[in-house]
Amino acid sequence: MRQTLIVFVQDEPGVLNRVSSMIRKRNFNIISLVAGRTEKTGITRMTIVLNEPDKTKQKIIVNNLKKLIDVYDVVDATDIECHLREYALIKIRIGGDDKMLNSIIETGDCRVLNKSNDIIILEISGDEEKVEDMINRLNEYEIIELMRSGKMAMVYGDDEDYKPKLVKSDPDWATKQLQQSF
Amino acid sequence: MNKKILTGAEIIWECLIKEGVDVVFGYPGGAILPAYDALSKYSDRVHHVLTRHEQGATHMADGYARASGKVGVAIATSGPGAANMVTGIATAMMDSVPIVCITGQVPRPAIGTDAFQETDIAGTVIPVSKHSYLVMEIERLAETIKEGFSIARSGRPGPVLIDIPKDIQSESIEFNYPERPVMIPGVETETFASKEELDFAVNLIASSERPVILAGHGILLSGASNEIVNLAEICGIPVGWTLLGSGAIPSSHPLNMGMMGMHGEYAVNNAIQEADLLIACGMRFDDRVTGNTKTYSMNSKKIHFDIDPAEINKNIKVDLGVCGDLKTILKQLLPKLQKKKNQEWLETITKWQNESNQRDIINTKTEVLYGAQVISDLWHETNGDAIIVSDVGQHQMLEAQYYQHDEPNTLLTSGGLGTMGFSLPAAIGASFFRKDKDIWVIVGDGSIQMTITELATAVQEGSNIKIAIINNGYLGMVRQWQQLFYDERYNETPISSPDYLKIAEAYGLKGYRVTSRNEIPSTVEMATKIKGPVLVEFVVEQHDMVYPMVPAGADLNQMISRPVHEQFKESEM
Repeated sequence: MRQTLIVFVQDEPGVLNRVSSMIRKRNFNIISLVAGRTEKTGITRMTIVLNEPDKTKQKIIVNNLKKLIDVYDVVDATDIECHLREYALIKIRIGGDDKMLNSIIETGDCRVLNKSNDIIILEISGDEEKVEDMINRLNEYEIIELMRSGKMAMVYGDDEDYKPKLVKSDPDWATKQLQQSF
Repeated sequence: MNKKILTGAEIIWECLIKEGVDVVFGYPGGAILPAYDALSKYSDRVHHVLTRHEQGATHMADGYARASGKVGVAIATSGPGAANMVTGIATAMMDSVPIVCITGQVPRPAIGTDAFQETDIAGTVIPVSKHSYLVMEIERLAETIKEGFSIARSGRPGPVLIDIPKDIQSESIEFNYPERPVMIPGVETETFASKEELDFAVNLIASSERPVILAGHGILLSGASNEIVNLAEICGIPVGWTLLGSGAIPSSHPLNMGMMGMHGEYAVNNAIQEADLLIACGMRFDDRVTGNTKTYSMNSKKIHFDIDPAEINKNIKVDLGVCGDLKTILKQLLPKLQKKKNQEWLETITKWQNESNQRDIINTKTEVLYGAQVISDLWHETNGDAIIVSDVGQHQMLEAQYYQHDEPNTLLTSGGLGTMGFSLPAAIGASFFRKDKDIWVIVGDGSIQMTITELATAVQEGSNIKIAIINNGYLGMVRQWQQLFYDERYNETPISSPDYLKIAEAYGLKGYRVTSRNEIPSTVEMATKIKGPVLVEFVVEQHDMVYPMVPAGADLNQMISRPVHEQFKESEM
């Protein structure tokens, strides 16, 4: 079983290094990692897919990610309803017969981005199965280059439980509270 | 209002002073030169200790932090200076010690060019530090230092490194120490237990017949020793402690059982395996305390109190994990508890304890001197009142077994990382805070040679530390493993030593050599009377072993017991 995490981090130099270093150090395996800007300035959003079936260990990786100073919050999307998309660029040589290609394009799941002579660049987007399926079908042709992105995850609906807490706080807050209470 | 224009170098010192720092441990070099140049303006408020190696500086900051509960500070230059700090940073990380390391970096335009003495130290220490910074704008220097201190000491403490390029140290800007609180991403962490969690814990404790408290370093960090003792007393629960939890409960307390784990007491490990409830407080079920995790205390319910959520269920699955400040949680828990005695359970444990006492070498007259005897007698001669800084190896385990600590924070040792060479510099660091007590370094002949250079620092600073070298001519703990698990092939574990009396003389401190047990009391007394560093070499039995021992990966109660000594057998008859 794979684990899908949505990680919200501070847009600081080296933050990717910190996240991947922690995952490597704890002996977890990254299947894919996608990072990019969000609707909020200064916050980068990552979707990380890990090869980790053990539920206890899944919890450990979430807690360790949350411990990183640059991390705002982590949403574990493994067991919640969400949209998982990935993207692929594929360069093929069609060599004359493009009947088959036209039928693929007609399904609406891929687009021609560039055509020079008999070499075509296509883009495919969809869930993993769909991308996988399209690539299999395009195997009819000579595939010159193939590039797949990792998965991007977005949770359905507007459930409060799955909303990340994108706030900052004073790390000394708890200590100050304690000093007052004793 | 007059503006205060300062250089980056001056801002570093101003910020340290604002954070309450009065002593720093460091070593100058090219990229940190501007900071050292500015030091003369601040030397009336900050004492700089020149170490002999940057690793020593980090261990000193670490020892200072462990002894004082404050943040320790180490300073070094770029490249090799910074790289030498890595071991000290990793040591502090594993034992949750708050230190801030400040390093010089090559000037900003040179970063990334493989410039002379350039190392990406902020990147290097990512996996072994709580956080690290490379300051790229002077505008952010002051707030970064403030943030660094805040991160180092808050929550589960740890080391923070701040890398400051040389040209930023030389730039000038108006200095305002940021008064607003530090803000970092993330929500405020809970420090309290919920009512449900407390009720669950109370029920588990009430229904248990064979409970055990596992006391860890978190108790000392949280200052919760009294609460642990109360918990033990109210509910009649015996306490076993981890190496770093030493002193969490006074050794003389009737409910104290001793250390758990690989070289823990037979009674403690047995109690853990036979228990029906474990209450783990501020500890992390390290492999050195659990043995085989699959067979670890299989019939017990487990409660885990810890400030770090990532520790819950990491090594051992628990029935109730509560994250927060230990002292707070225990204060919430104590009034809800019902008095209990667990008489039968405590009697069983006493029976186990009596069994192992019979095998004890310290109760025996021997021709050669044993490490255990040295430490037991040292405990006796210092009235159990010294701060002990132990290194790593057989002597470290003997210290834990035979020096009976009655107060928290009186044993400083590298537990998690097991860093040889830790003790001498850490003791020098601790001596800047604990002037009220004698500080004894207990160190092996292998360990002392790793950081022996810091003897010069001890002499230069007049550090009031007494260094007990337990010399058995071997890397003893490794030799022990070779004897037990590698068919006695003692490859590269016999280790020669210099003449320690000459070493002492050359460095300019008093040195003594002890070869028999009857010399111990007078030598300890002499050493204690001298103000400043003293070295005492104890020449001990070469082939001694530390028992009891749980072989790595074995079940916790599959211990190799202490052998019955020949002379003891005779006196028995």
